[in-house]
Amino acid sequence: MKVPIKTKVNGKLYEQEVEARSTLLDILRDELKIKSVHRGCEDGECGACTVLLNGKPVCSCLVLAAQVDGAEITTVEGLLKGDELHPLMLAFIENHAVQCGYCTPGVIMTAYYLLNNLADFTDEDLRRGIEGNLCRCTGYIHIIKAIKAAKKCKDSGNWW
Amino acid sequence: MEERERRLVSGKGFYVDDIELPNMAHCIFVGSPYAHARIKSVDVSRALRLNGVLAIITGKEVAKLMDPLPATSNYEAIGWHWRTPKVYPLAVDKVRFQGEPVAAIIAEHPYIALDAADLIDIEYELLPPVSDVNEAMQPGSPLVYEEWEDNMQVHLEFNFGDIDAAFKEADRILRVSWHEGRVSGFPIEARGCVASYDRITGMLNMWSSTQAPFLGRQYISSALRLPTNKVRIVVADVGGAFGNKLNWWKDTVVGLGSIVTGRPVKWVESKRELFLTGSHNRDVTWEGEVAVKNDGSILGVKAKFVKDLGVEGTNRGSAAMGIIPACCSVPNAYRLFKGLKIEACGVVTNKSPYCAYRGYGKDKGIKFMERIMQIVSRELNIEPEQIRLGNFIQPHQFPYKQISGYVYDSGDYPAVLKKALKLGKVDLWREKQRQARKQGKYIGVGVAFMVEPAGVAAPHCIYGGLTQARVRITSDGLVEVENDQTEIGQGSTITRTKVVANILGAKIDDIEVKRDSSDMPGSGVYSSRGAVYPTGALIRAARELRVRMIKFAGHFLNEEPAHIDITDGVFHSTKDPTKRMSLKELADCAYFRPGPRGLPHDMQVKHEILLDVSASWFSPNTAQNPTSTYATYCSGADIAVVEVDVETGAVSILKYAHVHDAGTLLDKDVVEGQIFGGIVQGIGEALSEELVYTRSGELLNNSYTDYVMPTAQDSPDIVMGHIETPSPFTELGQKGIGEAPVITSKAAIINAIEDALSPFNIRVPESPATRERIRRWILESQEG
Repeated sequence: MKVPIKTKVNGKLYEQEVEARSTLLDILRDELKIKSVHRGCEDGECGACTVLLNGKPVCSCLVLAAQVDGAEITTVEGLLKGDELHPLMLAFIENHAVQCGYCTPGVIMTAYYLLNNLADFTDEDLRRGIEGNLCRCTGYIHIIKAIKAAKKCKDSGNWW
Repeated sequence: MEERERRLVSGKGFYVDDIELPNMAHCIFVGSPYAHARIKSVDVSRALRLNGVLAIITGKEVAKLMDPLPATSNYEAIGWHWRTPKVYPLAVDKVRFQGEPVAAIIAEHPYIALDAADLIDIEYELLPPVSDVNEAMQPGSPLVYEEWEDNMQVHLEFNFGDIDAAFKEADRILRVSWHEGRVSGFPIEARGCVASYDRITGMLNMWSSTQAPFLGRQYISSALRLPTNKVRIVVADVGGAFGNKLNWWKDTVVGLGSIVTGRPVKWVESKRELFLTGSHNRDVTWEGEVAVKNDGSILGVKAKFVKDLGVEGTNRGSAAMGIIPACCSVPNAYRLFKGLKIEACGVVTNKSPYCAYRGYGKDKGIKFMERIMQIVSRELNIEPEQIRLGNFIQPHQFPYKQISGYVYDSGDYPAVLKKALKLGKVDLWREKQRQARKQGKYIGVGVAFMVEPAGVAAPHCIYGGLTQARVRITSDGLVEVENDQTEIGQGSTITRTKVVANILGAKIDDIEVKRDSSDMPGSGVYSSRGAVYPTGALIRAARELRVRMIKFAGHFLNEEPAHIDITDGVFHSTKDPTKRMSLKELADCAYFRPGPRGLPHDMQVKHEILLDVSASWFSPNTAQNPTSTYATYCSGADIAVVEVDVETGAVSILKYAHVHDAGTLLDKDVVEGQIFGGIVQGIGEALSEELVYTRSGELLNNSYTDYVMPTAQDSPDIVMGHIETPSPFTELGQKGIGEAPVITSKAAIINAIEDALSPFNIRVPESPATRERIRRWILESQEG
């Protein structure tokens, strides 16, 4: 069964007919070819497929495509300004927070949400905030460091 | 620099799942629900009728079309008790573990393949399973391989020094036992590959998430009866590996699927499948005795070591031979050993196959020893660091031949431990521990130390120490680099770039690390060998290339090579600053203007390739000392301070410090990234991770939901320190360290928990120390 949906993904409007059983993850990856959204566990446990759905982080494997009619979706591709990397992405690189990179786009989306929605935070808040994103390479230490560095960028106005 | 990282943060990754080829089909595996059953019949007719299903491969077909899976190690020829099973990637007559693939479905879409899986009719006749390793060793146990008379796949005895003398000299003999739960790496990206077979040329091209494309090619071509030069594997971006991507048994079926259908075929493993059929590790039990003097001197250890291999660790995986480093690593950093005797049993059971996971085998021996140190410390009432300091090999004793045959290259173990004690503020925490006890709080200080053997070269297996590197200057003066140091997220791209730029004097942005592939001979990354073997080859290639570059530059600048230097990609004479040329100009001269005819006569007559050098490397340590199967031996110390809530069994980490000596550091960020990640993996193993099988061989936790890996909330702040004692055996003094942190962190946490619970007189018998277990140990101690 096909379901018609309209979405705005990274600022671009799409009209699609999606399979009723397709997840948001499926249509982003397979139809819109947005490959930053990684298929991790498909159980909502690892966070590798995290995207912003109407501004809030969700595991796109747990959302049916048919549910997102009328929604606005942002992935890391949406944070780029042309070919220019977002300051948050640069903070990840500079702080060696990217190892295998598989969890990275998902962590970046969660971090982007946290930074935009928390005026201030402790390390503990940060750890709780990214708890839904599993990373097996970094032990999270460099990720925390990167997000804290990105906070400084944001506070100094180097942000979008 | 950091091009790879720039790609990955912005969604331009090239993971297997991102690959889309024209006409590509999809493969899924259909696994057995039972752990042990005979296959009576497999009927695929209903499934084949489903629209979009292209082919279904069963065990019967693979037995016709393929050879059995090759053994990755086999010591039978030298007289060891070492059995290798005849197995295929799909079960032929019987299934031996839950999830064992019985059929592979190739379809237009993965969902169609999943629908088809429900339409395959398989009739099983249940056999009694054996999932408990002790039962598997009993006479009359069900046999995993009926062609063997028992379930003992590997049975070895290690007897070093004089064990009787050690025990005769001892003041005390202490009993020790220790069990580690079954765990694995479980990277966030599971296994996967794309196979594309060309029926006209007979060429099988593959893109794979693998640690070792050259070994993978050998394995896949052997199973598929293809010549190796008709198989090529390109490594996609790898979403974590940790040893789990050092096996290719399922990839062979994907290759066969492409051969059978004539279509490119993609297989991306689901997480459930990775848990059920992925390689597992640990699951070992040590029972033994240690001979000690009253002053804490450790004189000898004798033990029985039992490893639950699941269905096996030789053909579907490659970790049965991890038994050898497990036993040889026991003496760790300690010098007073007079004897070491271990009976080692590798036992097959109806569980998923055994393959590498960070630590491989050496981790097991070291953790056993560090548990022994803890027990000795308690029994003799000597602080754990004092026991270690009294037994350490001393800095002036290197190279040091350990009783087990390893030759340790260099180190300053007392300095490493002392620095860790200081960073961990151990004295302060012991004082806090005393104060807390008065308030009914249980704080513990755990110490662990390790010497990690890194960079293996062993005979009779695929891990013989193969490596090769190639460095070349392109015609416009840029640098291309390749070796077998597969990028798996450990940071080898950064390391390779820096190493080559430093040696050549080239600009860092001019270095391009080529995508890893099976074209480059070498056995890939495992055994913490990246910084040792492939880097060794790379350094040698780059040095030779530099000699050639300087010679060319001298020729074109009309200057003695001895007076030519190169910085930031510009050659200059140290005598005459007006004599300068860029690498780009040099390349242009060498390749085109004037070209090879303008080169020195002696180079022309030697038919030397212009600016393109390949080199290899082999450990001088292993070459000189055949018993030293590893090249380098880094060291490290961990201090963990924990608080145990005795009411709930919850453990919180209050302080964590780590100091290591990886010789000359190639890149501090890369080393620290590896270490942080490893420490947190070890914490997961210590506290929560365990694959739990029922007696009927059913895996109870096959997802991240109930196999509990550390989240950001479980990872502590870590204070880290470095000490650099260069290795005399490597090109820059560097040592392998990739696996080290997962070893000591686990031991330090377990020792800390035991220290916290010392008022209850509890010996932690096993890992993970879950809340439930901690509560049980406390209750048992109170009852009896």
